[in-house]
Amino acid sequence: MANKNITLVEVEKAVQVIMDTAFENEDYFSELDGLAGDGDFGNSLATGFQVIREQWDTLPRTNINAFLMKVAMLTTSHVGGSSGPIWGTAFMRAAIYSREKDDLNLTDIVNIFDSAIEGIMQRGGAQPGDKTLIDALIPTRNALAQVKSDAPDCWKRALKTASEAATQSIEDTKNLQAKRGRQCFTGERSIGTVDPGIVAVATIMNNMNKAFTQ
Amino acid sequence: MNKFFNDPNNFVPEMCEGLVMANPDTLKYVPEYNMIYRSDMPSNDKVAIVQGSGSGHEPAHIMAVGKGMLDAACPGNVFAAPPVDFCYECIKRMNGPKGVLYIVNNYQGDKMAWQMAEEMALAEGINVKGIMVDDDVSVKDSTHTIGRRGVAGNFFVIKAVGAASEQGADLDALVKLGNKVNSLVRTMGVALTSCTPPAKGSPIFQISDGEMEMGVGIHGEPGRRRDKMKAADEIIEELFNAVADDLPFQSGDRVALMVNGLGGTPISELYILYRKAAEMAKARGLTIIKNYVNEYCTSLEMAGASLTLLKLDDELEALLNAPAEIPIRVF
Repeated sequence: MANKNITLVEVEKAVQVIMDTAFENEDYFSELDGLAGDGDFGNSLATGFQVIREQWDTLPRTNINAFLMKVAMLTTSHVGGSSGPIWGTAFMRAAIYSREKDDLNLTDIVNIFDSAIEGIMQRGGAQPGDKTLIDALIPTRNALAQVKSDAPDCWKRALKTASEAATQSIEDTKNLQAKRGRQCFTGERSIGTVDPGIVAVATIMNNMNKAFTQ
Repeated sequence: MNKFFNDPNNFVPEMCEGLVMANPDTLKYVPEYNMIYRSDMPSNDKVAIVQGSGSGHEPAHIMAVGKGMLDAACPGNVFAAPPVDFCYECIKRMNGPKGVLYIVNNYQGDKMAWQMAEEMALAEGINVKGIMVDDDVSVKDSTHTIGRRGVAGNFFVIKAVGAASEQGADLDALVKLGNKVNSLVRTMGVALTSCTPPAKGSPIFQISDGEMEMGVGIHGEPGRRRDKMKAADEIIEELFNAVADDLPFQSGDRVALMVNGLGGTPISELYILYRKAAEMAKARGLTIIKNYVNEYCTSLEMAGASLTLLKLDDELEALLNAPAEIPIRVF
């Protein structure tokens, strides 16, 4: 990829990576969710993304916006519980940001993270430190922002540092008490267990790193 | 389960089909989005008023579509929020030069779907705003809500903004008006039986003969307490006081009083409730300007009722008296 801008081709691939991560880790994510949540997270994600996989060939590909908007709609409607609107909001914010853009540079991706994080906080009411996927997305965003979008190999460097930051967020949040999201109903029992949403973001970022740089 | 349905999965679509077949001149139907809309919409002359929540609360909301009320509704399945694309398409298809107002009852699923649809529509340059209804005084947070639930008081919000929209009010004025009505309306309900969504096939909660759920939600969510069945006057007294003390409604207030059936209670019983409610209003010094005794917001075949009080001023009184034509009118 060197440092050229990404187009619909890479956006499609990124969505594919997110979906595949959910399929490959369905049982693992649900198992994590069962420790201090209701145990359906992996299954909710996989079931919803399965609908996208079934419709993959017919998704609109006129531009990034149209593609991501359809992904957002399907995610929101078919991923169960509040995960649908939460993850759907991330895709929707990316879609809205990409209006009238044929390609995206690294700064655009950072801006998309900002917009997605803001949207998810608004949708679900979570704040940083509540032990939700927000606490993985913010360090990921900050790591991406450290790399200049005109630097040589910017994507490779950004994906490496972002996947490391996302992975680190699992340990960094482990001893927090969940105030929102998947674990919030278990109160103090959530302390010491990892949040499945945070693990999911970290796993996705690691798979992005592999998919785009190797 | 003794119910009229064919395939339980077609419960909502077949209800919608029947509704448009019974109102061929005034209503149209978009099956892909469970969308019922006024055949003379969208319009250049008025803000479109739309709503969509779970089905099973009929006449709310598809049977409240008509001149002077909602311009469109896009319900989800029974007791399930409409998917975001239903809401988005509903906004988009009803949009005209004066924009779109959506009304959402305070349930997490409904709110998330409508707020996402709003964001999508705004990104396309559509002028859309929303108002939230949360009139149920029974409990603060509950099964599907952060904050109070939105129930039968929604009818008054629809009636007021629907009438004002016909008279040409702009979107910002309607938002202000809708919020005003919501701030002046209070409701509480009681369930005497449970109810059974056709696709589920079993009751949504258990309640024994001789018991009631005081403060029940319209999806059978728990209220304030489970209690033994009591005399009608005693039950409506508790509902009335809970509602009237909340705003509070005070001596000299002019009000609209609604006794709403939850689906399985005959209208005879609703008038027995109204009788006592009207006495209590008088004793409190409230003047009932308008009364509503019927089914407005139900929970399938649940036996039970809710009581709603709306505090009136000249503006709201005129809006309640403005003409409206919807499928459930009875004459």
